[in-house]
Amino acid sequence: MSLGTQGHGTAAGLVTPATIFVVLTLLVPLALLFRYSLNAFVPGQFMVDALTLENYVKFFTDPFYTAVLWRTFRIALLVTVICLFVGFPLAYVLARTRSRYKNLLLIGVVLPLFVGNAVRAAGWMVAFGAKGVVNASLMGLGVIATPLDIMFTETAVIIGITAVNLPFMVLSLQSVIEGIDRSVEEAAFNLGAPPWRMIGRVLVPLAAPGIVAGCILTFILGMNAYATPVLIGGPRFQTMGPLVYGQFVEQNNWPFGGAIAFILMTATLLLTMASSLLLRRRRVAD
Amino acid sequence: MPRHLRRWALNGAAGLGLGFILLPLLLVMWLAFFRQEIPSFPPEGYSLKWFAEIPGNRAFTSGFLLSLQVSIAATAIGLLLAVPASMALVRSRLPLRGVLNTLLLLPLVVPGVVLGAAFYVGELELEMATEWPLLGSTIGLVIAHTLVVIPWAVRLITASLGTLNPTIEEAARNLGATPLTTFRRITLPAIRPGLVAGALFGFVTSFGNLEASLFLVGPGQTTLPIAILQYLAWKIDPTVAAVSLLQILVIGIAMLVTDRFVKLSQVV
Repeated sequence: MSLGTQGHGTAAGLVTPATIFVVLTLLVPLALLFRYSLNAFVPGQFMVDALTLENYVKFFTDPFYTAVLWRTFRIALLVTVICLFVGFPLAYVLARTRSRYKNLLLIGVVLPLFVGNAVRAAGWMVAFGAKGVVNASLMGLGVIATPLDIMFTETAVIIGITAVNLPFMVLSLQSVIEGIDRSVEEAAFNLGAPPWRMIGRVLVPLAAPGIVAGCILTFILGMNAYATPVLIGGPRFQTMGPLVYGQFVEQNNWPFGGAIAFILMTATLLLTMASSLLLRRRRVAD
Repeated sequence: MPRHLRRWALNGAAGLGLGFILLPLLLVMWLAFFRQEIPSFPPEGYSLKWFAEIPGNRAFTSGFLLSLQVSIAATAIGLLLAVPASMALVRSRLPLRGVLNTLLLLPLVVPGVVLGAAFYVGELELEMATEWPLLGSTIGLVIAHTLVVIPWAVRLITASLGTLNPTIEEAARNLGATPLTTFRRITLPAIRPGLVAGALFGFVTSFGNLEASLFLVGPGQTTLPIAILQYLAWKIDPTVAAVSLLQILVIGIAMLVTDRFVKLSQVV
């Protein structure tokens, strides 16, 4: 069907079912959720119809909740930086390799993405427990006498989310590096540039779109992490994702849960937009 | 630094990155074969008995079946919606094309937990309005998962359509083929890699989806990832590791099969 020669009628007809579906199952529920967040919550009565900002005020005036938001932001930012540095060499090798096992390497990067965060968190639970791989090896080597508390710490959560998000960073970087002509690297080397200068002056500027895209994706996923903080952080470790679920399902406080959901979504979008503007301006300035 | 040393350093750093990604999966798979129940290292011995425990665990078996049903249904519906939409997005000069494209990719950007909460509220309101018991039902889950499948399908199918020269389709039309025949005989075979990739990615994201389903599952009606999460929140032992290993195998095989149809390096 070449629609270019036909009217807009056919095309509109083709795109309408999917559009209606997304509007009905995404935009309408989001609007309802926003409306809920303006309702009041009376203990014992659940939700009471109202038009108030008190849920939002409650979030930003209670140090407990602002601390949760700040912790979530801090973790997402750290995870993004680590992913960039750990992911770059892997992305570069994947982009440049002519090995026949390239597809297998790619599957190695992509497979964990689809296995689910709960299973991957289970792997870190095996590693970090009191008798886990890390403690058992360190004690076996005589480095430590008593097991370290790794589980249920912020460090463990950061390691867990980094491993979850790393494939997204690697794939974003790999796709742009593949588009960079290898001869520009050779040219820099032939002109006498040491590797670090070639990377700083040639590779990174040319790969900038992928770096920005990868960082944004990683940051968003870090802000929204759920399974990793729940399982590796434990029940008392609060970040925004588990907080939304807790308010909805455990506290039955839908208005406040809705407000937290919108604060999480807005914070993520604003920070993402701000950082991409900042990065773009820096690139123009360079 | 001499060239071969540089190469070694680079490959070493890349290997560390890949190892970091794969390490949790390898550890889980290792635990599945432990003889003792407690995950302490080094293992006291190895055993296959935990795999025999799986069929007796109703949460895992019924979770697997529900996940399979929901993902297959969601992938099928998602493709039925995404294929025509992608055709229109790539081949027409519709006004608002950019907006529509963004809208269809939006479910990827909205946080999973927010998506879950929104579905919960939406299905709750619909249930109250129509008395149709949607919450906790399989249909409620399928609707939510279809929304998760759509952006992947649209993304991969539009990418695939973008590489197909429209003049080939026009030639078929000029030779007298009806729009439907052209679609069936020219377009569909040409975008098959994109279709397969869209179906696979949709299926596995749906199968592994946790956050958006969390709010929608009812008692005795739990998907596999949520069954695994609930079990892990309680304890970690070789049984749950054995279930995880099976899930890793299923998804790994699905990806290897897809790799035969379409090179992964072209779609991710």
